[in-house]
Amino acid sequence: MLRYLLGRIIATIPVVVLISLLVFLLIHAAPGDPADLLLSDEASAADIADARRRWGLDQPIYVQYLRFLANIASADLGTSFKYSDPVIGLIGERLPATIELAIASLLIAILIGIPLGVWAGAKPNSWADNLGSVLGFFGISMPSFWLGIMLILIVSGYFNWLPSSGRSTYGVGQGSDFYVIQSLLTGNLKTAWDGIKYIIMPAIALGTGMMGLVMRVTRSSVLEIISEDYVRTARAKGLDERTVLWRHVLRNALVPVITVVGLELGTLLSGSIIVETVFAWPGSGSLLIAAIQSRDYPLITGTVLTYTIAFVVINFAIDMLYALIDPRIRFG
Amino acid sequence: MDNSATLEAEVISERRTARSRRLRRALRPWLTPKVIGGGIIVLLLVIGGLSAPWIAPYDPNAQNLSQALRPPDWLFGANVFGTDALGRDILSRLFYGARISLVIAVMVVIISGVVGIALGAISGYFAGTTDFLIQKLVEVVWAFPPLLLAIAIMAFLGQGLENLILALVSQRWITYCRVSRGQALSLRSREFVDAARSLGARHTRIIVRHIMPNLLPSALVIGTFSMASAIISEAALSFLGLGVPPEIPTWGSMLADGRTYISTSWWLALFPGLCIFFTVLGINLLGDGLRDILDPRLKRSGSGIG
Amino acid sequence: MKASCRRLTLILLASVAATATFGLAQNAEAGGQVTIGVTETIASYNPYADSISMGYAIWCQVYGCLGFYDYEKGDYVGILVERWEVDKADKNVWTFHLKRGVKRQNDGVEFTSADVIHSVNRINNDPQSKQKQNISPIKDISAVDKYTVKIVTKEPTASLLEYIFDRVIITAKDLYDKHGAREVDRKFPLGWGPYKLKELVIGQRIVLEKDSSHPDAKPKNPDTLIFSIMREAEQRVTALINNEIQIAQFIPPHLAERVSRATNAELLSTSSVEIMFLAMSPKYKPWDNLKLRQAVCYAIDRDLIIKNVLKAQADRLDGPIGPGQYGYDPEYTKKNLTIAYDPAKARELVKASGYNNEPVYLDAPVGRYINDKEVTEAMVPMLNAVGINARLRTPEWATLWADVQKGKTPFYYMGRGSVVDPSVALSQYFETNGSPRIGISDPEIDRTLAAERVAFDPAERKKALNIAFKAIEDAAPGCFMWRHHMLYGLSKTIVHKPNAAGRIFGTEIVVK
Repeated sequence: MLRYLLGRIIATIPVVVLISLLVFLLIHAAPGDPADLLLSDEASAADIADARRRWGLDQPIYVQYLRFLANIASADLGTSFKYSDPVIGLIGERLPATIELAIASLLIAILIGIPLGVWAGAKPNSWADNLGSVLGFFGISMPSFWLGIMLILIVSGYFNWLPSSGRSTYGVGQGSDFYVIQSLLTGNLKTAWDGIKYIIMPAIALGTGMMGLVMRVTRSSVLEIISEDYVRTARAKGLDERTVLWRHVLRNALVPVITVVGLELGTLLSGSIIVETVFAWPGSGSLLIAAIQSRDYPLITGTVLTYTIAFVVINFAIDMLYALIDPRIRFG
Repeated sequence: MDNSATLEAEVISERRTARSRRLRRALRPWLTPKVIGGGIIVLLLVIGGLSAPWIAPYDPNAQNLSQALRPPDWLFGANVFGTDALGRDILSRLFYGARISLVIAVMVVIISGVVGIALGAISGYFAGTTDFLIQKLVEVVWAFPPLLLAIAIMAFLGQGLENLILALVSQRWITYCRVSRGQALSLRSREFVDAARSLGARHTRIIVRHIMPNLLPSALVIGTFSMASAIISEAALSFLGLGVPPEIPTWGSMLADGRTYISTSWWLALFPGLCIFFTVLGINLLGDGLRDILDPRLKRSGSGIG
Repeated sequence: MKASCRRLTLILLASVAATATFGLAQNAEAGGQVTIGVTETIASYNPYADSISMGYAIWCQVYGCLGFYDYEKGDYVGILVERWEVDKADKNVWTFHLKRGVKRQNDGVEFTSADVIHSVNRINNDPQSKQKQNISPIKDISAVDKYTVKIVTKEPTASLLEYIFDRVIITAKDLYDKHGAREVDRKFPLGWGPYKLKELVIGQRIVLEKDSSHPDAKPKNPDTLIFSIMREAEQRVTALINNEIQIAQFIPPHLAERVSRATNAELLSTSSVEIMFLAMSPKYKPWDNLKLRQAVCYAIDRDLIIKNVLKAQADRLDGPIGPGQYGYDPEYTKKNLTIAYDPAKARELVKASGYNNEPVYLDAPVGRYINDKEVTEAMVPMLNAVGINARLRTPEWATLWADVQKGKTPFYYMGRGSVVDPSVALSQYFETNGSPRIGISDPEIDRTLAAERVAFDPAERKKALNIAFKAIEDAAPGCFMWRHHMLYGLSKTIVHKPNAAGRIFGTEIVVK
């Protein structure tokens, strides 16, 4: 097992190097120049050339790449052009907000999507199935910006129940790091509650579409499994319907569901630009977009590398879960 | 002579009625409410798009600035679904928009589905090193920011519908690949696969005949669902200059244009949104209906549990 | 699973109910706190690492700056500077007399000329500096005494104050020497401004707190000033109406009515100093043809677009600048610079130009300027109507901007911001070697712009500027479109008069 783990970790290195090379080439080949974009409109050609020199952009591209690799080796992702701060620190500041929002949206998707899907799959074409499916279609057809703005207009605007943007109230907390989770762990209910107020709407806006997908995939998978021989055997043995459903059917139906959840988690971790914009959520998605829009090379590569590692970890965790829920699955 | 002729005619006509009876019998299971409902919705959307030049009341690009942002005029009004910020008729733009949006949705789903399922099936079936390499490829492609990918494609390949589809497909196959692979991993050690293998079936045959059919239901669900997001994402890419030029209406760009007007002119975003909803609904109904019919195991269980 | 689902529902319901009460309770306690909904704030603790106007305004009230342009007076006013003069004999030599006895926040250290010199040096030498353009006219800076600074410019620059007055943020030399750049920005952000930096969460908000001992800080000014990022316009309006914020920046034209209908808020508008224009580069066919360029200017019905697409929230530009900008002369403009919408004349010009109907592409950004996509979409049929086969393209901003700066975009819609004194902007776009952005080289424009720069007498300079305006319009490398109104939503609990630069100073806000 340890050898297996070690092997997976070592195998990640070529992936990281490959993606760093690809991203590096791609962003340098893409039109646009950070000095043009970050200096003001009044900057002269000399000012721009000066900034390019300070940022090392006047060097040949292979020199820039080798420097970058050398920096990575010493765990330094460089300094952001736009934010004038070390990239690692910037990602470290923004990622917790994204992770917390991802967890909240995933909770919505899973806690509603899976039970609804099992229900619909166990009783296909019943009213529950039809209602659940139509809800799912609504969830997926509604663009998150539409749902987000609607929530702001209704929940914040009309009812004035929840704050419309940001992550925390000034004076209550800073809204940095894992605001809600840390508050809950330290038992600071006041700040925890503050954080929850801010996270509800963005989590709904992100989670609804996902909930639809999870519901439909669960339904489809349950439909498949429920007609398998062993389920009928279990039922023939006189096990009660609920046990059959939750123990035998769901367990085996979970493989595609957790795959989809894993994929969605990846998407969530890379940050939803739209929802982060609509709710002014200070996550890593808006950081990456700002980086791409200003061609902030170190920040782009740094963020993409972080995501790569996150995705490798997610895929690994999903594989472990496969093995756990379905002993027939072997990877060798 | 006469007699035999009549007889022959009778036999033929009898055969004919028998054939039509058989046809009717064969068709009967297909005519479920889901198939009919879904079929009608999809057909209407397709016909709407195809016949746009004849049924659209206006030129979709004809601007009338003084008539901008007119609310819907439900009955016999000049603009049944209202006008947009430049006074263009929303209904006409919806008809024309169907053309690009439906093509994008279908093409993106089919191409990424085929690529994703094939890679996923291979990855899961062979497992081991093959699986490892394909999954590393997945991780590399997955980590790319879509915006960066789109800018790069635009810079290297230029504007065009095919490049837009390429941009959308480039990461969407991953979902199918991961889901198919997960299932294939589980299927490869099942009895029926072992049986096929011991009978000497080739890998290709096992994958195509035994593995893939079991991957389709989940892939179908994902495919029908990702149609919506393909239509919506088109607008984001078109705004980057990739994809369709601004003068060609699409549901995605109408929706995106309507974003700023949600609280003041709700009709701008609502109608293209509804079109996307009905596309997803129609395709899903059709997909569900077809599956009910085609999957024999389902029918058994349907009566067993129902 | 079912049980946990039910529990979740209960928790959710309970939270919604509880929030309802909490939410209301919170609004009642807002007193001396003013929150401003802005689209972006600064990206760094380093006051020299941003070059957005919001950043200058924020740092100016924390650290301090030399002065600012007062739009009401139409002249420059000193903040840390008492008075200033240009040497009569050598127009390159400026002398600034600093205010005496200005005490720093917390430790009371006095502001001196060493701090000014340190600040200019840091702009020049800080590896993160993005503000070098602001000191580009300066050749040398030196201290005459503790309260007098002498600046020598590279060439006579009548508009020097435009460069440095509210753009050079004054930070403390002694603190910098003691702690170093990174430490001083983060831990000792002390200056001579009326507000202290209280909290900075980049990407979320920046909080300033009034320093009541400061002479400019009045009791009626807000005690706490929060700049909170809200990129979505809909959200800023909703938050304003809910009393979540007191000032909402950049209200788009179509939401203006929602704000003015609200009982607790009002809509304020000011003309922006950003000039919107269409540029046509004579380096590219068919734009090398003067008649075709002129035809474009006659073909576009700006009044119609302003009325319907911009909901009357813009002022037509006749000539490069409008009221409130330096050098604007209403009479001269009316007589010499006004181009009226005239499609017949445009059609004639197109015919006379010999244009062969080849397609031309108008490049426009999306979402950068107010209604940019709609506005340019509306221009296309107008150009088509006079016989110009124009089509719209919407490239990604960074790509478009890179191409424009390299002079690779033949025909585009763009804005040039911060044009208080038009000298720099006009030279940048229209003078030979100003920049490759338009790539026009016209001896008359060059001559008139050069003449304007050496005219130090205000009346003379205004006249010279207007002659340059005319030269630019005659050569038609661009058509000037409009200046947008900047719309603000303002809570009725405060009084504030927004200005054209979009500068928000706590000392200019009064809480009722």
